[in-house]
Amino acid sequence: MSATIDDELWAALGDPTRRRLLDLLLADGHGTATSLSDRMPVTRQAVAKHLVVLERAELVVARKEGREVRYVVNDAQFARAVRQLATVGAAWDARLRRIKKIAESIQALRSMD
Amino acid sequence: MEYGTIEREIHIDAPPDVVYEVITTPEHIAQWWGFEAEFPAVPGGEGRMTRPVRDGRGQLVVPISVVEADAPRRFVFRWVHPEDQPATPENSFLVTFELEPAGGGTLLRLTEAGFREVGWEAATLEAYYRDHSAGWDQHLPSLAAYTARVARA
Repeated sequence: MSATIDDELWAALGDPTRRRLLDLLLADGHGTATSLSDRMPVTRQAVAKHLVVLERAELVVARKEGREVRYVVNDAQFARAVRQLATVGAAWDARLRRIKKIAESIQALRSMD
Repeated sequence: MEYGTIEREIHIDAPPDVVYEVITTPEHIAQWWGFEAEFPAVPGGEGRMTRPVRDGRGQLVVPISVVEADAPRRFVFRWVHPEDQPATPENSFLVTFELEPAGGGTLLRLTEAGFREVGWEAATLEAYYRDHSAGWDQHLPSLAAYTARVARA
């Protein structure tokens, strides 16, 4: 799994409004920007924007229904996101190893001067 | 499972000033993190990190807000808060780098406060619904399926 996917999921889940939207969608099974904004202290436009971010991270799937777009949680991706919460430590391990490598190669060059 | 704070340390055979530079400058961040970073590495420095999203439809933009920048000892920042809002403990993750001279090199310590600290823990969704949702019984089937998936993960 690439670091890009980690960061994209992480950023999507980092926002409290988006976590709340996922909670509501999980609980209700589905929702639209209108139905979800009725239950949250944010505008329909803001909800729609957050849903697009969640869709881009593949955490939800959009289905066109007449003039509305209905969203459901993408179970597979959500389960993966939950699994990835357990791998955040591993992502940092990899970053720290790269920091070490870069710093040590800079130091090696310095020592040669 | 690591839903809470992550703590790591690593020894680096380079002095703290070199390590600090690697951690804080865009040129190096691109190498170790893969983000194009634009932020002033000073306390209160606000900026963003970007990278292409995987489906090629634009950029992933991640706000970053520098909390402490004490070269070459400490670098602390918050990230992933909404772009139009200031970073708070509820809407962002706090990352702390601590650098300590050790044996001619550096002991680098990292902590990142996680979902437990921002108040959303996938593993405790069940408790969340019990506390916050009136129609608990209706939600039970989907939650049971969900927790089964978590348990298998």
